[in-house]
Amino acid sequence: MTDGLRIFLAVLILTSLLVIFVVSFILYRKTPLPKGCEDMQPSEEKCANCKEEGCHLNIYAEKKKKENEKK
Amino acid sequence: MANSKHKDSFLAGIVKQNPLFVSLLGTCPALAVTMNVESALGMGILFTFVLCCSNVIISLIRKLIPDVARTPCEIVVIAAFVTITKMLTEAFLPELYNSLGVFLSLLVVNCIVLGRAEAFAKDNGVVDSLLDGVGNGIGYTWAICVIALIREILGTGLLTFGKIFTFLPFVEIPVLKFGSVNLAMSFFVNPAGGFLVLGVVLAVIALIQQRAEKKKKFKKVAEMKKIIHEEAK
Amino acid sequence: MTPYIYSFLLAIVSSMLVDNVVLSRFYGICSFIGVSNKIKSAFSMGVAVMFVTVFAALICWPIYNYILGPLNIPFMDTLTYILVIASLVQVVGLFIKKYSAPLYKSFGIYLPLITTNCAVLGVVQSNTDTALGFGLSMANAIGTSLGFILAIVVFACIRERLEQYNGNKPFKGVPLALVVAALMAMAFMGLGGIGA
Repeated sequence: MTDGLRIFLAVLILTSLLVIFVVSFILYRKTPLPKGCEDMQPSEEKCANCKEEGCHLNIYAEKKKKENEKK
Repeated sequence: MANSKHKDSFLAGIVKQNPLFVSLLGTCPALAVTMNVESALGMGILFTFVLCCSNVIISLIRKLIPDVARTPCEIVVIAAFVTITKMLTEAFLPELYNSLGVFLSLLVVNCIVLGRAEAFAKDNGVVDSLLDGVGNGIGYTWAICVIALIREILGTGLLTFGKIFTFLPFVEIPVLKFGSVNLAMSFFVNPAGGFLVLGVVLAVIALIQQRAEKKKKFKKVAEMKKIIHEEAK
Repeated sequence: MTPYIYSFLLAIVSSMLVDNVVLSRFYGICSFIGVSNKIKSAFSMGVAVMFVTVFAALICWPIYNYILGPLNIPFMDTLTYILVIASLVQVVGLFIKKYSAPLYKSFGIYLPLITTNCAVLGVVQSNTDTALGFGLSMANAIGTSLGFILAIVVFACIRERLEQYNGNKPFKGVPLALVVAALMAMAFMGLGGIGA
C-alpha cells in the first residue's frame, strides 16, 4: 500500500460518502409528503425558534419566503 | 452605516442574543465541561475558533454553492475545522484534550455552530460573519465560565488554575475551603448539580429580564401620562 | 454461547441505567429539553433516536476498523461519522416518507433534528475512542438509546404535570424543568454499580 494509493483511496471514500449524503439529501427534500400528512400543524412553542430546513412545518422558512416575495 | 451594522452583529451575540442564555443552544457542553473553570475557558476558546473559521469559510463560498446542497457543505466545512482543532489540541494542549473528551468532537453537531452558519454566514459578508462568530464565541465563553465558576466554587471550594493550562502556575485559590474549614458541597460537581446550577442561572436571568420589561412598561406608562397631562392643560 | 448473550444483555442494561446518556453523560440535552413537553412526542423522538443510533453504530464500527484503520487515517473519523449519520437520517426519512404515513406522522418530523443530536455522534465516537469490540459497541448503542427513551419519557411525564405550575414566575418553563432534571439525575446516581 504505497502512500499515493492510500491517499487516493481515502479521498475516494470520503468523496463517495459526501456524494451519497448530498444525493440522499436532495432526494429527501424532493419527495412529497405521504398521503395522510397534509394537515399537520406546527406547534407554537416548539416550532417558533426552530430553523430546521428539512422540516415541512418550518415557520421560519415560510416567514423568509414572504419577506423574499415582498422584496 | 456599515460600521454600525458591524457593531450590531458583534454585540448581539454577547449579551442580547447570548446563544446559551437566550437561545438555549449548545447546552450539552455547557453542562459537561463546566466542572472546572479552566476546561470551560478552554472549551470556549476552541468553540470561538471553530465558529469563526467556519463562519468565514462558509461566507466566502456562499455564492459558489447551489441552494439545495447548502447544509451538506456547511456540515463538511464545520467537520473539517473540528478535526483540525482536535489535532491541534491533542498536540499542543493534551490535558485540555483529555479533559474535554468526546465533547470536542461534538462541536460538529453543536447547535450554535450550525445555527450561525445557516442563519447568518450564508447571507452576509466575510467581515460581518467573522464579527458575528467572535461575538457569539465571547458570549458563549462567558456564559459557560459563569456556570463553571459557580460549580467549581460551590463544588470544590477552590479555584484551581494551572492544572489544565499547564503553562500557568499552579494556583489554588481557596474560597470555601481554607484551613480546617470545608464548606464545599461535592454535589455541584456531579451531573445533577450541573442541571441545578443551569436551571437557577436561567431563572435568575429570566428574573432580570422581567424586571427590565417591567421598568420599560412603567416608563412608557409614565410618558403617556405626561403627554395626556400636557394636552389637558 | 450463553455467557456471551448474558454479558451482551448485561452491557445493554448497564449502559441504559449506569451513566445514563442524558442525565449523567449530558449527550442529548438540546432535544431532551426541547421535545419533552408531551409524552407522545417524547416517545416518538426517543424511538427515532434509537433507530438512527443503532444503525449508525452498525455502519460506523466496521468503517472505522476495516476502512479507516488499514488506510491509516483515524483522524478522519469525525468527518466520516457525521457524513454517515446525516446520510442515514436522510435515507431513513426517505423510506418513511415514501412507504409509511403513520410512521411519518409519529416521528417523521424529528428525523432531520437527529442529525444534530449529540447522543448519536457521541455514542458512535466514544465507541471507537475507547476501542470497544463490535458486540460491546452494539450493546452500548442499544443500551444508550434505551436509556435516552427512558429519561425523556419520564421527563415528559413530569413536565406534562408541570404545565399547570402557576407559581414563581422566573422559574416557569425551562428553569424548573432543569431543576426537575437535577432531581432525576440524583435518582439515577443511585444506580451506579450495576454490571461492571
